[in-house]
Amino acid sequence: MTMPGALLAFEAVQLARGAVCDLSVPPHHAVAVSGPEDSGVGSLARVALGLERPPNGRALIMNTEIARLPRAAALAFRRRVGYLPAGDGLLQNLSLQDNIALPLRFGTELDDDAIEGRIRIILTMMHLTDVSALRPAHVNEEQRRRAALARAVVFDPELVLMEQPFDGLTDRAAAELLEVARGGVTAGGSRRTVFITGQDLPHLLRARVDSRYRVVGSTFLREA
Amino acid sequence: MRAPVAIIGSELTRRVSRLGALARFFFDALRSFGTLPRAGRRVAWHVLLNQIWFTALQAIPLIIVLSGLLSFLVISQAVRELGRFGATEIIGTLMVVAIVRELGPLLTALVVAGRSGTAIAAELATNRVGGEVDALEGMGIDPLHYLVLPRLGAAVVSVFCLIVLFDGVAIAAGLVAATANGMSPDRYFDIVLRSLAFGDAGVSIGKGLVFGAIIGTLPSFHGLRVRRAPTEVPIAAGRAVVGSIVAIFLCSALFVAAL
Repeated sequence: MTMPGALLAFEAVQLARGAVCDLSVPPHHAVAVSGPEDSGVGSLARVALGLERPPNGRALIMNTEIARLPRAAALAFRRRVGYLPAGDGLLQNLSLQDNIALPLRFGTELDDDAIEGRIRIILTMMHLTDVSALRPAHVNEEQRRRAALARAVVFDPELVLMEQPFDGLTDRAAAELLEVARGGVTAGGSRRTVFITGQDLPHLLRARVDSRYRVVGSTFLREA
Repeated sequence: MRAPVAIIGSELTRRVSRLGALARFFFDALRSFGTLPRAGRRVAWHVLLNQIWFTALQAIPLIIVLSGLLSFLVISQAVRELGRFGATEIIGTLMVVAIVRELGPLLTALVVAGRSGTAIAAELATNRVGGEVDALEGMGIDPLHYLVLPRLGAAVVSVFCLIVLFDGVAIAAGLVAATANGMSPDRYFDIVLRSLAFGDAGVSIGKGLVFGAIIGTLPSFHGLRVRRAPTEVPIAAGRAVVGSIVAIFLCSALFVAAL
């Protein structure tokens, strides 16, 4: 049963090993789901965005099942959601700066000056100014992950979906990225809604998310 | 006895089904122009210009060398050999039919398929394997808008422009060859222009558009069809080039049959 007002909800979504994911993510909350690689946890963000269909169940973002929308409407809807795919998904033929600017250039009517201004701010915030002109292949993994997150939040979405965002990062870097994803140090009521999937959540971050779920075998558990 | 028939049948079905998927991909790409968001048009335009730089501008020296040498050799030999029988009038037909109408578009398309077709297929296949195509979809950017449509447009524009260049250089090189073999420039132009009809230019333009569409579509189709393994990238590039060359020759034959 979906919680009223939830920004993201999975209703009886069946995962790979038979576990059934039933959860709602209220606005301004950070929720993490972890589980082994073959548990199907990694596909939850894709299911939410309508890029994959689960064998059973459905996913709703802002009360809309994207998978059932016509293609053009689904694409337009996805442009309202921040998405950090597993493995960063940065376009290799664009510089980090152009990668970050892509959702603004493609999905908004902002003029070049406004886009440049926003990019400068986010590059500074993510400590990427010095490497902004480089392509993804020429920077390290942490910088790529920072750029991918910057791309996901550059248009200030209400909801951010993150797939394995902290793999290979130090706890400190992971905590910093989570803060950026949530919208920085602001009042709780204005923080972004964040949904994280991965094999494990770094220790330091466990207290920084509002709810944690874990897939164990074929069971979907809420962690204390 | 049934087994070979079944094998042939299943292979035929597979190929026809792939052809259907290719046709659908082409029409989806064309149709996607109508759904390109206003803000996305500038981005797509930028990608198109970038692709024209690689496909057309960087191929200019190669086209000039090929066209110049081909025309120089053919016209030199023709003027020398046909001159013995007093049949130099035929070089006009030779230039127009053989070079402008047939070899120009064909060689240009083959050059572009070899250079840019491979690059497009390998690039899109790498995008697919690297998760970039999925990331675009996840961000609400249609890969047809961002990856395919600009490359299709650029291939059509590039092949068309390169064919015009090929024909221009061929006529100029023919002049050099004819003059070097004792024919006056006035006579050369008189013979060539008399043989050149408006329809020949039309055929050349038509071929440019069709061959460009083939080079824009087939490599994109094969590039985006790969699944996950990097080993599929060279296979996709190979299929794209072979498919494009076969399609270009087939269409060339259809043009000859139809006109």
